[in-house]
Amino acid sequence: MPTRSPARLVVALAVAGVLAVFLLYTAIAGSSTPTLTPSQVNPQTTGKLSVVGIVLAPLHGDSHSARGLRFALKDPTGSKPGRVDVVYHGTTPPPLFKVGRSVVVTGTLRGGRLAGTDILTKCPSKYTAAPTKA
Amino acid sequence: MAELGRAALVVTLGLSVYALVAGAAAARRNRRRLASSARNALLCSFASTLVAAAVLAAALVRHDFSFVYVAQHTDRSLRTAYALSAFWGGQEGSLLLWLLVLTGYGSLAVYLNRRLLRDLTAWVVPVLAGIGAFFAFVLVAVSSPFDTQTAPLDGAGLVASLQNPYMVAHPPMLYLGYVGLSVPFAFAVASLLSGRTDERWIVATRRWTLVAWTFLGFGQLLGAHWAYVEVGWGGYYAWDPVENAALMPWLAATAFLHSVMIQERKGMLKVWNMVLVALAFELSVLGTFLTRSGVVNSIHSFSQSPIGGWFLAFVVVSSLFSLAVILWRLPLLKARTRLESALSREATFLYNNLLLVALCLTILWGVLFPIVTQLVKGEQRTIGRPYYDFFLRAFGLPLLLLMGIGPLIAWRKTSVRSLMRTLAWPVAVTAACGAALVALGAGSSRPGLIAYTFSAFVLATIVLELVRGTRATGSLFELVARNRRRYGGYVVHAAVVLLAIGVAGSSAYGANVERRLTLGQSMTVDGYTVTNRGVTRRTTSRAVETRAILDVRGRYTGRIEAGSNQFFNPPEGAQEVAIKTSWSRAQDLYVIADELHPKTQVVYVQVLVKPLVNLIWVAGIVFLLGSAVALWPDAREQRRLAARLAPARA
Repeated sequence: MPTRSPARLVVALAVAGVLAVFLLYTAIAGSSTPTLTPSQVNPQTTGKLSVVGIVLAPLHGDSHSARGLRFALKDPTGSKPGRVDVVYHGTTPPPLFKVGRSVVVTGTLRGGRLAGTDILTKCPSKYTAAPTKA
Repeated sequence: MAELGRAALVVTLGLSVYALVAGAAAARRNRRRLASSARNALLCSFASTLVAAAVLAAALVRHDFSFVYVAQHTDRSLRTAYALSAFWGGQEGSLLLWLLVLTGYGSLAVYLNRRLLRDLTAWVVPVLAGIGAFFAFVLVAVSSPFDTQTAPLDGAGLVASLQNPYMVAHPPMLYLGYVGLSVPFAFAVASLLSGRTDERWIVATRRWTLVAWTFLGFGQLLGAHWAYVEVGWGGYYAWDPVENAALMPWLAATAFLHSVMIQERKGMLKVWNMVLVALAFELSVLGTFLTRSGVVNSIHSFSQSPIGGWFLAFVVVSSLFSLAVILWRLPLLKARTRLESALSREATFLYNNLLLVALCLTILWGVLFPIVTQLVKGEQRTIGRPYYDFFLRAFGLPLLLLMGIGPLIAWRKTSVRSLMRTLAWPVAVTAACGAALVALGAGSSRPGLIAYTFSAFVLATIVLELVRGTRATGSLFELVARNRRRYGGYVVHAAVVLLAIGVAGSSAYGANVERRLTLGQSMTVDGYTVTNRGVTRRTTSRAVETRAILDVRGRYTGRIEAGSNQFFNPPEGAQEVAIKTSWSRAQDLYVIADELHPKTQVVYVQVLVKPLVNLIWVAGIVFLLGSAVALWPDAREQRRLAARLAPARA
């Protein structure tokens, strides 16, 4: 009787191993962060979160001062009324950070205000959708 | 002109649909004249797409702002090369480029194999035409680059950081890679549909896969270098969904390139290869869906667009179709031989494949995680860099080790003692390197130390192989010329080692310090002293340029300028970093200056020291060299393959 190839066993064990690591990592070690838009942010939210929004004018202060860089984010879709105030401390925001730019701010909510520790500015758009035709 | 472009795309759509329907009917009923007609329709679809592409290119060069696309992505001040690069700077143009490359690749692949693999190409035509019909449909009905308007005086312009030679080459290279994966996919599906599941489809598409894989790999490195020198955050890869979208099909294609060798030699892994080639193709389309649909947040601001749903539907339909055809032909995909031992070259290739696919699926899981959590918990959650870094180490380091073991281990089976004897020299070299690295202080990062020592092991095995081979043939040139595929592969392995050393060095052993500097104040970072000599501001025709003048003393001595530009059209800011490369010390001094205040002469300076980062870019050159060697036509190998596959053709 021909012996069965160990290949299937190796494949099955490897797949099972990978799945096990996935589960372990995402269940125990994984530190996923909720990503919300300003309209989804609940003032009671605790812990680390990321907020995706468009930077509103005006910008106050700078990120290295005690009072930090202060600005607000509005919903990226523009159709929802949400707004989140941000106080950002840390390294200088990326160069493309400016009013009207879509950004992702990561931090924690304190008194309804997002204490930001990291800002990601989206890269210059290469694939913007065409404007809606009249 | 726009009407001509639109008409050309409608013709492409019509020809593709005809090639799909007529080609499938001809292949099914074995009608040679109809098959020839379908093939001609596919060739003509390339010609009509070329007309559409020429219309768009002419409009871009002529600054014809009556084209909405031209007005949105260029302005009058743009140099011709950058105006042309706007072809792939927007969604509609990049889709047209995709269609152009697809019809071009498809026509060439079908034309070259029209006689030798007639039964296979009969099915390749409708498969490629089906993919082309989808892209032509999207361009005709959903997202056309030929929409017109009353021409404004000037266009919106191209963002300054995209006006860079890298961005002229990087996107088309990625497209040549993404789209190139359609050819092996089409041949694989054709082999299943025709029932000719021998190794001919692999032989016919080996070079196509290698070309696509090379473009995809080199294109990513170009993008990484652009991010490093132009975007100005000090890094080169951010594990962003858009970046991952290019990495995933490359990893799947890497696994495929390795596993086809086992099928060619041993007739094993037939189902696995079909799955891999389908996975690589589907991931290349899935990447487009992810980046264009807006379902995941990316630092690349790919806005929501109407094509997302169409791409999702295409991925679902084509994946189900591929799966159904593989399951249907499962009885024809039985292995000729079996894996005899877990300690053999075949087994090493299998482990390598499993690790590559595991890494690929892990990245896919990370990309899809926000969508999954949105569906399950009603809230998007993202997983960041630590997740990806963890799995890169978990799967990447064993992969590196296998890259050294694989070429030295015997086919069929070997004993542990025999393997130890073969590996004695490389292991001794590795141990000596490891000890030297610890003595030099590399033990401060365990993953870095492991990556370095494994890299030394791989390099030692490559050198051992070259020395042994040269002794046998008497000439290194003769050795490489006799087996270009094998030794080209070793050169690519050397490139991966350089990449691993560069990534480990720059991420595990670098320094990063930020300070506020008043006029005359200094900061010291890793042997460099940086002193603020003032802040200047000047206005040019394009931008307001603000610069910090900084004196550097230490391993590099001299004056550097770093700061930012505020451009007028479009009104965007851009970081202008100072990078000083010391090749003798193999490190970069990378300086970012921000919040520059010309009145107070105060500046925030971030100094990064990045050891060995330039090996990543050197790896790109070595990678190209290795791919070129592997791709170079080898008459002897062709004769060998032709002789071996002759019975299958009969």
